[in-house]
Amino acid sequence: MNLNLDWLAQVFPTISSLQPIGRGGQKIVFSGNHNRDGKVVLKLFHIFVDPERAIREVQAVQDIGSARVPKILEVGTTNAPFGDVMWVREQYVPGEDLRNILSRGKLKRNAILLLALQVLEVLAAAEKAGITHRDVKPENIRVDQNGNCWLLDFGIARHLRKESLTATADTFGLGTPGYAPPEQFRNRKPDIDARSDLFALGVTLYECAEGNNPFISEARDVGEVLRRVETVPLPPISRNIEETGAFRDLVLAMTRTKLDHRLPTAAEGYLWIKEICSKEALG
Amino acid sequence: MDMFLQVGHGMMDHCTRLIKEWKGGSVILSPRDLDDGQLKKLSKKIRRLDGNVLLDPQFYLPHSDHRRLSSHSYWPKSYATSGFWSGNDLETLISDLQSLNRDLGCADFLLPGLLALDIDSDWLDRQKAIINVANRLNDDEFNLISTVALSADSARSEEQIHTVLEGLEEWQVSGIYLVSEHPKGEYLSQDAIWLANILDLAAGARLKGKKVIIGYSSHQMLIAACASVSAIAAGTWMNVRSFPPEKFNQQYEDEVKHRATWYYCSQALSEYKVTFLDIAQKQGVLDVMKNSPDSGSDYAGVLFQGPQPTSIDFSEQSAFRHYLSTLHAQVKAARLSTFDQTVDQYKATLDNAEAILHQLQSAGVKGQQRDFSEIIDINRAALAVLCDTRGPLLRRYWDRLL
Repeated sequence: MNLNLDWLAQVFPTISSLQPIGRGGQKIVFSGNHNRDGKVVLKLFHIFVDPERAIREVQAVQDIGSARVPKILEVGTTNAPFGDVMWVREQYVPGEDLRNILSRGKLKRNAILLLALQVLEVLAAAEKAGITHRDVKPENIRVDQNGNCWLLDFGIARHLRKESLTATADTFGLGTPGYAPPEQFRNRKPDIDARSDLFALGVTLYECAEGNNPFISEARDVGEVLRRVETVPLPPISRNIEETGAFRDLVLAMTRTKLDHRLPTAAEGYLWIKEICSKEALG
Repeated sequence: MDMFLQVGHGMMDHCTRLIKEWKGGSVILSPRDLDDGQLKKLSKKIRRLDGNVLLDPQFYLPHSDHRRLSSHSYWPKSYATSGFWSGNDLETLISDLQSLNRDLGCADFLLPGLLALDIDSDWLDRQKAIINVANRLNDDEFNLISTVALSADSARSEEQIHTVLEGLEEWQVSGIYLVSEHPKGEYLSQDAIWLANILDLAAGARLKGKKVIIGYSSHQMLIAACASVSAIAAGTWMNVRSFPPEKFNQQYEDEVKHRATWYYCSQALSEYKVTFLDIAQKQGVLDVMKNSPDSGSDYAGVLFQGPQPTSIDFSEQSAFRHYLSTLHAQVKAARLSTFDQTVDQYKATLDNAEAILHQLQSAGVKGQQRDFSEIIDINRAALAVLCDTRGPLLRRYWDRLL
């Protein structure tokens, strides 16, 4: 899907200065200035994307209703030369994505704890709404100018109370290798729930603390990444993030390979990190 | 952690005596070893002593033709696999057991459970059927405890253990009574994977809020305190300190015919024939084997009063009571206020036992097949696995697992 900025400007006359800021498997993302809402993000879904999936992304964000997820401002469909295109206009979060930040090195301890607190808050809200994000990773976490974290892109989120949009017969499920847990990339649907997001966030937190993702580092190919996720437990964080070792335990509990060894709910994770942050006078 | 008495052959007097000495405690009755009248008599005595009783229905092998087991009124007159599970026979079994539990004044209702050669859909369906019928008939009268009886092979399979844990989430029971055959029929299991999986299952069940009783245990299961297990059950003979499923068949020959008297040296986690205490005396290391005054037992004190140990009348009865009293004290002291303290204490127990065993072996004092030397590393390995897989959650929720 190639989009001409002039055409876009005509279709979205209330948004000026449209600039592409990202392109994924499902959509192209632009930023621009809305005449009422200020800086916004405009997402245009590829025409081959099941409209139901796009609708689910919108619903997921609305159902979760978290202050740490960009708000949906407007949704619509427009007629493009190559077919009908579904679009979403949402709140723009000024700042930088976590991947960029990590490219400069490890995070400081307070930043790690705050990230854990704020993303677990979102995951607990998502769990309550029956939604699994399924793609928690540094690329989908944005850190704003005040150091607060936002969870982005519910594009492959799953509503556990609705019928799955991923074919049950698919050998491999959706998600990002190196962050998605075994039950997710093995597409064991009954096993996919908030614990899958906990795993991915745990790996992300490990990466923030250690500066690398051991599932991905120097792996020959995706197959090796998946094999490592399935067979090699994430090691304990070597840095002393806080005195009691509770944060190290939390990340370990989030990232155990076997579901039954993992922290059972995101709500428990959020409670745990709140206690840790409270002791550290954070958050 | 608590220690229950697992009734086996000839244990009635031991039970009443020990429950009296301990000022309470729990006894798991064995219909294989007690007839109906004995069950009632023992139960009455135990309850008079402020003890609790539980009834192990021992429905592990429903085709069993064990004479005494099949003489009990709850035991099906005939067992046809398909008919039993699809007709009214299951309801009759549960109902009869419920009545018996009521008559015996049982504290909780241990549900019957089949020995799982493999954890497959058949076994899971039958567990669920038992639990569903029991819940329907129970009307909140008893806490229901599901029996999980595993063959050595099924217990060695991590996948099968996790299938049990998945199933457990749907079982409406207060807890599980876990019994598992030891690999190769060993008294002390030399299979670290087996032990690690048993601990994993126990800890997983505890973290789901279930009570866990590990039946047919020996001192090797002191490690279960690290998984916050509610209780282990042990008895006199080896066949109530490990779980040989074949003993529930008629052909089984009771080990009472091969009797020997063993002294349990709790600090070495090992048992010794009294002849080796003579060697220890001759070699000047007998005091190393003497239990400390707070070991919970006075039964073996006579062995350390000067005369050659084999010249002293240290009866089989005293040996059993010494073992059970000492183990009782060890079990009671095994769980501490945090996970880390409990693990550290257990590691120290193993380290201490290792040092003592080394000293004794250097002097030629050996526990033969009941020596813990080769078991120490097995237990260390299983503990390391438990700490890696369940440690973070056990550490966090330890206080809730009381």
